[in-house]
Amino acid sequence: MSLLEVRNLKVHYPIRGGFWNRIVDVVKAVDGINFSIEQGQTYGLVGESGSGKSTTGKTIVGLERPTSGQIFYQGQEVQQNKLRNSVDYQRNVQMIFQDSLSSLNPQKRILDIIAEPLRNFQNLTADQEKLRVLQLLDIVGLSADSLYKYPRQFSGGQRQRIGIARAVATNPKLIIADEPVSALDLSVQAQILNFMKKIQRELNISYLFISHDLGVVRHMCQQIAIMHRGRLVEVGTRDDIYNHPQHIYTKRLLAAIPETNVNSRQEHRQKRLEVERIYNEQQAKYYDSNGAAFALQPVSMTHFVALAPTD
Amino acid sequence: MAAKIPEVTQISESDLVRLTQEARQEATPTFGKIIWREFKNNRLALTSLVLVITFILFVIIAALFINTPKMMTTNIMDYYSKPFNKNFILGADSGGRSIAKQLIVGSRNSICIAIGLTVISSTWGICWGMISGYFGGKVDLVMQRVYDFMMILPMLMTIIVIVTIIPTYNSVTLTLILSVFYWMGTSRLIRSRVLAESQKDYVAASKTSGTSNWKIIFREIMPNISSLIIVDTTLSFAENIGVETGLSYLGFGLPLGTPSLGTLIANANDPENITTYWWTWLPAALEIIILCLAISYIGQAFRHATNASQQ
Ligand SMILES: Nc1ncnc2c1ncn2[C@@H]1O[C@H](COP(=O)(O)OP(=O)(O)OP(=O)(O)O)[C@@H](O)[C@H]1O
Ligand SMILES: [Mg+2]
Repeated sequence: MSLLEVRNLKVHYPIRGGFWNRIVDVVKAVDGINFSIEQGQTYGLVGESGSGKSTTGKTIVGLERPTSGQIFYQGQEVQQNKLRNSVDYQRNVQMIFQDSLSSLNPQKRILDIIAEPLRNFQNLTADQEKLRVLQLLDIVGLSADSLYKYPRQFSGGQRQRIGIARAVATNPKLIIADEPVSALDLSVQAQILNFMKKIQRELNISYLFISHDLGVVRHMCQQIAIMHRGRLVEVGTRDDIYNHPQHIYTKRLLAAIPETNVNSRQEHRQKRLEVERIYNEQQAKYYDSNGAAFALQPVSMTHFVALAPTD
Repeated sequence: MAAKIPEVTQISESDLVRLTQEARQEATPTFGKIIWREFKNNRLALTSLVLVITFILFVIIAALFINTPKMMTTNIMDYYSKPFNKNFILGADSGGRSIAKQLIVGSRNSICIAIGLTVISSTWGICWGMISGYFGGKVDLVMQRVYDFMMILPMLMTIIVIVTIIPTYNSVTLTLILSVFYWMGTSRLIRSRVLAESQKDYVAASKTSGTSNWKIIFREIMPNISSLIIVDTTLSFAENIGVETGLSYLGFGLPLGTPSLGTLIANANDPENITTYWWTWLPAALEIIILCLAISYIGQAFRHATNASQQ
């Protein structure tokens, strides 16, 4: 039984307009996706900006309402209207936000920020609480004098650590990490990623790791799903995705990873232009007439690709 | 729960106390301190603050020692008594009533009504705007229609009609009647800020931390718009002094026999008073100008301090 299973999840946003404020159209931010996350695993969700990754994550933690579809947590369906009220689910599924600055209340001290979930989910005395926050600060590598500071006094990397400390405060089983390192420079990225791996080992946490960068995901994830325009276009293990990509969109994302080897730069550039050309020419092979990806077809036991149905 | 985390930290109780003290020493200046510093460096604002507070205290206390019905009895012997004599420091009006005493009692009445009006209408407007902006959707739609309805009512005319219809009323009922019509500006201002504030990730983070909606509105969002609230409340206080005064000036404010700044200024309706008996209306007019100026200087200092504290 997987820790979390998402079945045919759809999140459509109405676009209102006209005289009566009627619904004139919908944005299909998430349009029927399926995946499941195992205990202790890191599941990567990759796609370009606007492909619906954050919406997927927010729907799982209950910040957005799904239009249809189901979410199962340890085999039990999470009822949408009860999602935010189910204390157990709330405590066990936490989120690290894309924008670390905006995710920390500027008027609150670090102590109050990290202690917020503790105050809601656990009954601790003021001293126990402070001790726990100090422990958490220590885990994420921040010194104790951060306790009474405000978020603006920290650097981006430090703020992201505070966000992580808050997310792990209640010992959750699953953390939705929404581009936790996209806003950081490379050296700090590596630090934060290693450190996320470390607490994963220590606390046996599962991650849904959202990113637009296949280079970063390679370091983190065993299972990867590629998302485009609200649908999954390719799902597979790390090996499937990096070594045997089938969908043109995956190939395009892979070609976009910067080449660090100076000698093969020219070659890499050629390859990228080639992929770009195929992507533009073969739209019909990979996308239906509305521009949406096809349903996933199995290629191997672990590998699924959205290809036109061959009947 | 806390024991589940591997003891990566060996923080003892005594360390906890020490670290807490250390952190407290390094803590950032609180909002109160920033405001205090602002006033210390801004002579004009400090003078205004002292002036306004001492004046309000003075009129409230002094008015306790004045017998209003006795003061308001007509005394034909003192008809338009000139100012600066030993009985009438500021002279007397056509009924031989002391202007100085009327000024004290009138200021007390006008200021207390303005304070009451500010407290009630601002509280209502703030709550209305925050709830409307935070929940959005249908709640917002309904609340904004109420707002629109209140806005299209011809305010002054409606108040005058109500005041004329109600047989007996005093300063308390007048304050309540006025409060019904003076919350809209605040509510619109607050709503637009809360609308923007609710989109920030710290609100989402509070939701996933299990904090209830009401707590999020009043404990998370409100501190972030406190500067707006303080500045708006200060400035609407200055404005509200004008509301009752204007109404009394027109003759629809406080009932006859109850002095107010407005009734004193209304002495200027008589062309003869304007030129010959200037002391009947000039002190009240000067008082309002000085009071409103001083309050807006205070408001500006608040705004400056709050901008500084957000850097
Ligand atoms: N509240 C909303 N109302 C209407 N449309 C929305 C809303 N939230 C998201 N969308 C739309 O849904 C789509 C997916 O947005 P989402 O934030 O999930 O993208 P993303 O994959 O996280 O992108 P990024 O990498 O930039 O964070 C976008 O086209 C966006 O415009
Ligand atoms: Mg996103």
